Amino acid sequence: MIAESPRVRMSVLGIVVFALFASLFARLYYLQVMASDQYQVAAQANRIRVVPIDAPRGRVLDRNRKVLVDNRIVVEITIDRTVTDDLPAAKRTAILTAVADGLARSGSPKTVAQLEDDLANPRYSPYVPVPVALGVPEELKIWIDEHGPELPGVAAERVAVRRYPYGKLAAHVLGYTGQINDAEFEAASTLPKSYTLNDDIGKYGIEKVYEADLRGTPGKRSIEVDAQNHPVRVVGQTDPIPGDDVVLNLDIDVQAQAEQDLESGLAIAKKRPCRACSVAPKGDVGSAVVLDPTTGGVIAMASFPTFNPAEFVDGISDAEWAFLTAKENHAPLNNWAIQGQYAPGSTFKPFTAIAALQAGLITPDSTVFDDGEFEVPECSGDSCTFRNDGGKKYGVVDLRRSLTVSSDFFYYGLGARFWSDQTRLGGPESNARLLQQFGFDQDTGIDLSSEQSGRIPSPAWLESFCKEISCEDSAWRTGRSVNMAIGQGDVLLTPLQIASGYATIANGGTVWQPHVAKEIRDGVTQKLKRTIAPKQVGTVSINPDWRQAIIDGLVGVTTQPGGTAVGAFSGFPSDTYPVAAKTGTAQVSDKAPTAAFGAFAPATAPKYAVSVLLEESGYGGSVAAPVARRLFDVLADPTLLPAAPLGGKIAVLDSLAPEAGEVRD
Amino acid sequence: MTAASTFSARNRVAPGALGRLSRNPGAPWRHLDLVLLGTVLAVSSLGCLMIFSATRGRNPSDFDTGYLTKQLMFMGIGFVVMLGVAMVDSRRYRAVAPAVYVAVLVSLLTVITGLGSTRKGSQAWFQIGTFQLQPSELAKIVVIITLASVIAHFNSELDAFRLVLALAVVGVPMALIMLQPDLGTTLVFVAIAMGMLLVGGAPVRYIAAVTLVGIVGVVMVLNSGMLAKYQQCRLTAFLETPDEECAARGSQYNVEQAKTAIGSGALLGTGLFEGTQTRLDIVPEQHTDFIFTAVGEELGFVGSATLLALLSIIAWRVWRTAQLARDPLGSLVCVGVLSMLVFQTFENVGMTMGIMPVTGIPLPFMSYGGSSTLAEFIAIGLVLNVHMRRFS
Repeated sequence: MIAESPRVRMSVLGIVVFALFASLFARLYYLQVMASDQYQVAAQANRIRVVPIDAPRGRVLDRNRKVLVDNRIVVEITIDRTVTDDLPAAKRTAILTAVADGLARSGSPKTVAQLEDDLANPRYSPYVPVPVALGVPEELKIWIDEHGPELPGVAAERVAVRRYPYGKLAAHVLGYTGQINDAEFEAASTLPKSYTLNDDIGKYGIEKVYEADLRGTPGKRSIEVDAQNHPVRVVGQTDPIPGDDVVLNLDIDVQAQAEQDLESGLAIAKKRPCRACSVAPKGDVGSAVVLDPTTGGVIAMASFPTFNPAEFVDGISDAEWAFLTAKENHAPLNNWAIQGQYAPGSTFKPFTAIAALQAGLITPDSTVFDDGEFEVPECSGDSCTFRNDGGKKYGVVDLRRSLTVSSDFFYYGLGARFWSDQTRLGGPESNARLLQQFGFDQDTGIDLSSEQSGRIPSPAWLESFCKEISCEDSAWRTGRSVNMAIGQGDVLLTPLQIASGYATIANGGTVWQPHVAKEIRDGVTQKLKRTIAPKQVGTVSINPDWRQAIIDGLVGVTTQPGGTAVGAFSGFPSDTYPVAAKTGTAQVSDKAPTAAFGAFAPATAPKYAVSVLLEESGYGGSVAAPVARRLFDVLADPTLLPAAPLGGKIAVLDSLAPEAGEVRD
Repeated sequence: MTAASTFSARNRVAPGALGRLSRNPGAPWRHLDLVLLGTVLAVSSLGCLMIFSATRGRNPSDFDTGYLTKQLMFMGIGFVVMLGVAMVDSRRYRAVAPAVYVAVLVSLLTVITGLGSTRKGSQAWFQIGTFQLQPSELAKIVVIITLASVIAHFNSELDAFRLVLALAVVGVPMALIMLQPDLGTTLVFVAIAMGMLLVGGAPVRYIAAVTLVGIVGVVMVLNSGMLAKYQQCRLTAFLETPDEECAARGSQYNVEQAKTAIGSGALLGTGLFEGTQTRLDIVPEQHTDFIFTAVGEELGFVGSATLLALLSIIAWRVWRTAQLARDPLGSLVCVGVLSMLVFQTFENVGMTMGIMPVTGIPLPFMSYGGSSTLAEFIAIGLVLNVHMRRFS
């Protein structure tokens, strides 16, 4: 049979061999020529791990380039999992025990179990050693360096953390940083400066708002790794670029003064007897703001109680966080200057006056006869009579006098006429619209986080408000307009809005957006990179005659007999440095009144606009005015301004300036 | 041409290149197959180079020559033994074949019953000083000679009884190797037996029957508890959808990384010593079973296709020698060697490219290893032997 001949069988064998080799060639061609792209990508991914190198964060400087926030080098203990995970379990435990012992000796104890938790934390990249302790003493570093061979994988490295040369000063403005959370990480994924889950990010204040400038550009180290992911060598490195410095408008010396005066003022208010108060003053919460009325620059912004941003450096504990955010502790983390919303009381009167002048309800020389009791026209019922505080009667009162002595009667009338003349003025919302020109009822847009917008009530607001919560009467009545005219009722302003409003009067009608930061400078060369230009967000048309009348009235507050802050400003060099000011006292039933103060100076060419607010602490003229007075002392004569103490320790004073006596309003 | 002419001696004198060195115009050395010898030396040298590339260290500046030195030594020993094997007339092997065959069976028995050393879950080695001798590699050669002797003895007239006898010659050592366990080498025995029985004249229906039994056997072995899970996983890893347990064990890893290495080499390769899959040990067992991936990655399609071409030249010369052989014994030995080399090449290269199951079979003349290198050189020595004496 021919098929069975050896020769044919050899041919069959040859054909099989040929076919096998042919299929190998075909497969080889497919892998290396047709599909090589995907495999080249896969091979590169196998080989290179990119590890970020932290870049130093930029500094924060005050307007005189004093350093408010910079970095300091501390010792951080790290454990490299790529080393320890390869060790026998007993050796690994021995190393962790030794580290735990070392930490205990150096005063930052951590158990082996806690170290294990750190090592198991999936936040950390497997190629970066895991930090287990920060800010340990130099002795521990020396000990670890000396015992290196016995402690494979353990290292004591120097790392940069935030440093606050002035301690707690300006804490609310500067803010703090913390480890990035998942939501922030998600949001940061599109930013040009990349983040890892190990990174810190600005969480509050300037640190948050100027995160993009302060953050350095991380470097990259490309490490070649083998099949077990062990580093073999460094194949490339991009050096990190330090973050930019943020220069503020803030003057740390003024800030220190403002914080001292505020804290002292609150302490005094706490002890001071308040005969007219139905409840004892609390003196727990307050704020003070100093603005530059020509630019909107924030020169000082104090909020009390305060906190120490350094506590955030190595991660804040749950207990500390709970303390700082608790209502019973008055949420020290909150910046009450922008997060607190208060009825401004009589500090609101100048704004009502300008609105009334614009509406043509009065002229600068219009007078009324203040007999202390204002009857709401065409009103019947219990609440048709509004009285001056303390039942005072001021007689013939014009615009200037109404401000100096703080005649409620004068403004009750204006409030009533805003409502009665609404048809001529453009409808029921016209009063609110006029007041909104000052930037009230909206965010000022300051470069800080968590700002509140305040409130200017109006019929439309009341209607929507009453839809959310049930009201006795959702219809707007004249009484509401009357109350609103003196900054009571439902009017709410933040202390920053009060200061900004006074700045607008001071500069003749420009509403600047308040801004803390002045410019951005290169972190290394100090070259100017960007100027935060003053931004005008609104205009209030104020006739020069009106402005002069209002300034006269406000200067009278600190200088004229009957002025509500005359006592607080006694002995002040008003001749050379006249202060235009207004006290305010917001009455809330069953609570001590909230003391407010708004001012600008010098009245001739204003350089500073100031607001002071002491929550539930007494009368504006008695407790808020002295705080501002002491601040104006140093603003008027900078030679009296002491340099802010490094470390930020400020003494709480027993008295501020001359005893003002009890001033109602 | 008749069937007899394949095995008939012809008196035509073909002066070989070495002819001038020999005073005897009929001396066997005059008919040395220089093409085969040259190709084998070329592939072996490339093998040494790639072994060095795969073992010199993870850092580009590393220069570990440990494996290179050893492999060069294996190659030298193999070369000398090859010449020795070629020198002695192959017809004499028939006389000693039974004794050597028994010796191999004894050594295989010894190795699995306690004297052998265990490595990677398999008991297949004798530890001799710092070297490991793997009897199963040499058993392949002995089985080729013995089986060729048996078939030649039966004068290629294989009825059922003789076929069973021939199968037993292969089956006994094969079973012992299976017990080590060494699945890859077992499969090489199957390939050797199939090739030699085909050319040795076994009726086609018997070959078909044996093939069927073989397939059923493989399926049964895979599904029985005989194989450890890791073996099952390795064998099925080349399939696109492995079972979940295998996927969890990462059985795909070897194949994926091998394919990545070869594929990333593209047309021209990354260059010698420049392959990262190779240098960083990302492909496991790269100096032994996965040496082809180093060629694929560093020398690209051009280099690996050239290697395949060289290996196919070796196959061609062995096949050609089988046809030129003066007697059935020589011819069958060459067929056995051809079956062994081609199956190992196809299985090994196919495994690295993901078209064959993963088994531990060395790539002839390329993979690192003393026993396998020795066995391969002996095999080529036998083929040279047959080629040289095709006229005498």
